[in-house]
Amino acid sequence: MDAEVTTDRLRPGDKLAPLQLEVTEEFNESIVQSVGADHSRYSGTAGQPGVVHPALLIVFSNLTRSPSFKLPPHCAAIQTHDDVKLEGLARTGDTFEITWQVVDTYIRRDRHYQVMDTCVSDSRGRTILTRKTTNTFMGAGHPGISRISS
Amino acid sequence: MLKTGEWLVGDATVVTSYRTWQFSGGWPPDSGWPSRNVHTDDEFAKACGIPSRAASGAMVQGYVVDFLADVFGEDWLGCGSFNLKFVAPVLIGESIVPKARSSKTVDESGRTRVDVELVCENQSGDRLAVGTAVGWL
Repeated sequence: MDAEVTTDRLRPGDKLAPLQLEVTEEFNESIVQSVGADHSRYSGTAGQPGVVHPALLIVFSNLTRSPSFKLPPHCAAIQTHDDVKLEGLARTGDTFEITWQVVDTYIRRDRHYQVMDTCVSDSRGRTILTRKTTNTFMGAGHPGISRISS
Repeated sequence: MLKTGEWLVGDATVVTSYRTWQFSGGWPPDSGWPSRNVHTDDEFAKACGIPSRAASGAMVQGYVVDFLADVFGEDWLGCGSFNLKFVAPVLIGESIVPKARSSKTVDESGRTRVDVELVCENQSGDRLAVGTAVGWL
């Protein structure tokens, strides 16, 4: 990706820089608390690390988490659709790689939409989660929230 | 138990201000925490043309994931799928209630594939997100 091109201007085929994400028990617990989840599977047992809450992998695989994500000042990316496939259990104590690629862009009702394929894999290379996410952009020349169309 | 056509209703979860910071404020919670974005900071949201900060769609997805794991069992976390269309912002203080109803069941390879319709509503019954999911029984 060209360093001068902001994420809202990326075209199909363009990629964001991948992220390496280490998930500790404490990190997972923070997300588990934030979504009010109350289940022992997330804290693990002796000899078995806890399951990483999928919400952690989802929020940290939003395009905003890529090291190369960049928007103009006063511009925000807003998620409008998401199609998520859970393909394997993630465990705490592991480091995950997250990759992003733009697969489509389109205009609908004067609003710019960008569709991104995202993949989360664990340290053994197993695919844990894939997403096809549609984002739109607001501010900095993009229409405001009152013009969001679905 | 999911019966075709009947809505199964999950627990209501309140989107508190602190939970939104916890979820969208970044990790680790160092001196700059929570990081400023449209989910954590009203002024940041307004500067982007958004009336006020709102919860991340991923937070709603978190509620849905736990609800569906209760419906289909823990294995669903490693083999399930779902999609959501976000139709209204989730405001701080709202309660989110996930609902699901079976729309189709198909026997496949000795298991039953269940397609469900998904809805997330607030405490007033307003729809915030709609979608579908697939699980196995």
